Amino acid sequence: MRRAVLALGGTVAGLILLLSFRSHTAVPAAAGVAPSTATTPTTPATSAAPSTPVPKATKTTGAGTGTGAGGSKVVTGSVISSAYGPSQVAVTLTAGKITKVTILQHTDDGEMSQEIDGPALPKLVSETLTAQSAQIDAVSGASYTSAGYIKSLQSALDKARA
Amino acid sequence: MSGRLGVRPAAPAGTGPRLRHAEPVMGTMFSFDLPAAAAAVLPAVLRWLHWVDATFSTYRPDSDVSRFGRGEAGLTDCAPELAEVIGECAALGERSGGYFTDHPGGRFDPSGLVKGWSIEHAAVMLTAVGQLSHSVNGAGDVQCTGEPVPGRPWRIGIADPLIPQALAAVVSGRDFAVATSGTAERGPHIINPHTGRPATGLASVTVVGPRVATADAYATAAFAMGPAARDWVESLDGYEAFAVAPDGQRWQTSGFAAYAAGD
Repeated sequence: MRRAVLALGGTVAGLILLLSFRSHTAVPAAAGVAPSTATTPTTPATSAAPSTPVPKATKTTGAGTGTGAGGSKVVTGSVISSAYGPSQVAVTLTAGKITKVTILQHTDDGEMSQEIDGPALPKLVSETLTAQSAQIDAVSGASYTSAGYIKSLQSALDKARA
Repeated sequence: MSGRLGVRPAAPAGTGPRLRHAEPVMGTMFSFDLPAAAAAVLPAVLRWLHWVDATFSTYRPDSDVSRFGRGEAGLTDCAPELAEVIGECAALGERSGGYFTDHPGGRFDPSGLVKGWSIEHAAVMLTAVGQLSHSVNGAGDVQCTGEPVPGRPWRIGIADPLIPQALAAVVSGRDFAVATSGTAERGPHIINPHTGRPATGLASVTVVGPRVATADAYATAAFAMGPAARDWVESLDGYEAFAVAPDGQRWQTSGFAAYAAGD
């Protein structure tokens, strides 16, 4: 594999060759990737198809979508393992807008984790709401220490895009 | 072989289902936003990113970078990509008056370029197989290609380094990159190579322009420079900057307004 990668250098032709090695890979793509990854194909809001099943990519935990009273939808992110322990969030959508972010589980197994979680949790909730109101596609700005939470949040937001 | 895969649009940008993927690699997170049709090619891109991690990691004693840094391996013994990265580091060091370096703290460490360089290569790989609508976000440095839906540019929020609840700005564009250096999450960690001490003159600086590898390196150099970075970025072709000072004051270069998105 390494030989293949090296041989391809930086040329476009090489890249196509490299990528074509995997062109037979079945969808969803993440099925054979490490269990800590999460891939979620989603459908744009413009083509609402509620009966279309969401492929269960690499979800090994209770991640999923549920519809509550009053047209609210709860989207649950996958449990994400990070250096600071497992984390998971749920996003409540009402009429397509994020109205609530709930931390379903966070690390509580040591002083270090507490120290990190303390400031990180409320910040994460706020960031979710801010990002939604600004209708942004991504955020620029390093977020290393809360990587586990960011990923879990993205997992939930990615599903919320549907 | 290329006839079957081809360099052609898999579908008009944004008209089909989308795929979002988050990949932990290089000690951080890479997020992809792309057409679902790209699912077949994504694994190759991810494998390449992990190969970059293994080859360029300064945390792995057996990586090419570690062996080269210790003088145990020459450039010809290493992946040819290492020479490419070292060459780009040298060019960036020259253009930044030495504020960007692959020897931060005195030891060989090209990490300041490798992340942005690999984000950019991942985006180029996707484009090369006909995917014309995607964003690749590596730890907050983003390369955007095309537009997310027809007729709408990408909108990228810039995290406020001082107020965790807020975005400091939103930029938008097509085929552009956004990279931010700051102290918000990791504290002072960017060394001013001219003093050997952590830079503290800015809370964060964001650079926008065509290429994320360049934008990321410029942002790192600009952060090390501090307030003087404003004139420096003004002098650069194709790149603009927005910065937040430790006291909350902001400045931006003259062309940044072209990227600024309304609320």
